[in-house]
Amino acid sequence: MNGTSAIVKKEIRSYFYSPLAYVVLGVFLFFMGVIFTKFIYIYQQYNSKAQFGGGQPGITLDKLATYLYQNMAFLLCFLTPLITMRLFAEEKRQHTFELLFTSPIHAFEIVLGKFLSAYFLMLLMVVLSGLYVLFMVIWGNPELPIIATTYVGLCLSLACYVAIGGLISAMTSSQAVAAVWSFIVLLMLWLLQSLGQGITATFAGVQLGTVMVYLSPLGHFTTFSEGLVHVKDIVYFVSFTGCILYLTHKVVESNRWR
Amino acid sequence: MIEVNGLTKKYGDRFAIDQISFSVKKGEILGFLGQNGAGKTTTMKILTGFMPATSGTAKIGGFDVFENPIEVKKRIGYLPESPPIYPELLVSEYLNFVSDLRGIPKDQKKKKMDAALEKTQLGDVKNRLIGNLSKGYRQRVGLAQSLIHDPELLILDEPTVGLDPKQVTEARSLIKSLKESHTVIYSTHILSEVAATCDRIVIIDKGKIVAQEAINSMGSAGASSRTEMVVQRLSEKTLTALRAVNGVRNVQASQNGINRLIIEAEPREDVMVELARIVVTTDSGLVRMQPVALGLEEYYLDLIKGKRTAI
Repeated sequence: MNGTSAIVKKEIRSYFYSPLAYVVLGVFLFFMGVIFTKFIYIYQQYNSKAQFGGGQPGITLDKLATYLYQNMAFLLCFLTPLITMRLFAEEKRQHTFELLFTSPIHAFEIVLGKFLSAYFLMLLMVVLSGLYVLFMVIWGNPELPIIATTYVGLCLSLACYVAIGGLISAMTSSQAVAAVWSFIVLLMLWLLQSLGQGITATFAGVQLGTVMVYLSPLGHFTTFSEGLVHVKDIVYFVSFTGCILYLTHKVVESNRWR
Repeated sequence: MIEVNGLTKKYGDRFAIDQISFSVKKGEILGFLGQNGAGKTTTMKILTGFMPATSGTAKIGGFDVFENPIEVKKRIGYLPESPPIYPELLVSEYLNFVSDLRGIPKDQKKKKMDAALEKTQLGDVKNRLIGNLSKGYRQRVGLAQSLIHDPELLILDEPTVGLDPKQVTEARSLIKSLKESHTVIYSTHILSEVAATCDRIVIIDKGKIVAQEAINSMGSAGASSRTEMVVQRLSEKTLTALRAVNGVRNVQASQNGINRLIIEAEPREDVMVELARIVVTTDSGLVRMQPVALGLEEYYLDLIKGKRTAI
């Protein structure tokens, strides 16, 4: 695994030597700030209504946190392609693929190294979002276990996003093409949840709608954000990421045959 | 050191290389010569384990390239046509990354990096961004990465392309100096490069090897077929007599200041004697008569045009 750690170190260095990492982190924090402020404003409005009405607020801080993290998961769906687009496409463009593939390391070490470096950057965003948890803890009383499971779900979802972005980057030598296609695929995966709910058709005895809903990461993430940790959801995220990384390995290997 | 047998690579129905076989001894500099698209890079990519072959075998240091690619890659340093560099990294960071990829132990890393920097004369720019370096320096960075693990075999794909004349001379002497501790395969389409650097040459055309021999024997191969004569006076009568000699194929005369004749003839002693006799008897004032070695360039062109065979 020497190759993997060498690639992780180099990739993280490359991310921070270019403006890309800073821009993506900045955009993430800006939009999260806007969303958080908006939610706090809504919470305040509910609170004051409840105070004047003499009852409990109609929305709890935990519910707000759930909405906040669902929005964050969706925002990361947009930002992941910007991080993953360069993973393999850039190597092809710069002809550095030859350096990696003539080094005494296995192709899977390269794929894993690339995946882990992009995943690290995405996790950094998740860590930075802890700032909002801190605000909620200081000025409110949120259910921390629910927030913790939400974070677990978020980290698992991001692994899928990054793996998909990496796979698409391995299929092209253009970063722009990789970014656009990654975004389209990630968006489609999200939309599968709502599209699947409206489909009642069956194929070979299997309800297509159910399959579509199952394939979408949204439903699995929602379970985590409700404070529930189901093994089936963990299996979904881990197996999904594993399959995509395996496919990426095959695509990368096939590049050498052309 | 290298044993290549019947190596073939097909893209669809097109052969990029077809049944290539050659061997390289330890400590040898082998020039791999051919036009663009002849199959040089494909052969090199297969030898480095970057690309699989359609058929055939290739062994490096006793290890099969296809069965033991990791062992082979440990023994090879490869500089592709475009140096595989990351412009956003410093030279030292880049070499550090390559050392990690090559699995160089931490305690040896600094020593190996310093040695590579010294060999390629990059010490002054080690803390500069690769993206800000000139093409010549980038090429050297590429060479440094191929040398860093002190490989037994160096495969260099057109390492002097795009360099200025001074850099080309420096690169040549660097490659020559590498002979002491490495075996080198060196591809180019520049003939003077081969003559200046290599011990032996493999000429490849349209995916096939058309010649492989030592540089010295190539020069002598056509030496006796061409003769230069310089005379004081040159008349049409002399020229006609020379052209009429049995065995003479062509006579070219040039009269820019000195009267010079280039005579292509069969490499026979009696033809030479007759040529000398005619020049003397016609009172042309013979100044010089000497065999002219066939240039590498002409030899190469003859080979790829099919005028000459030499394997």
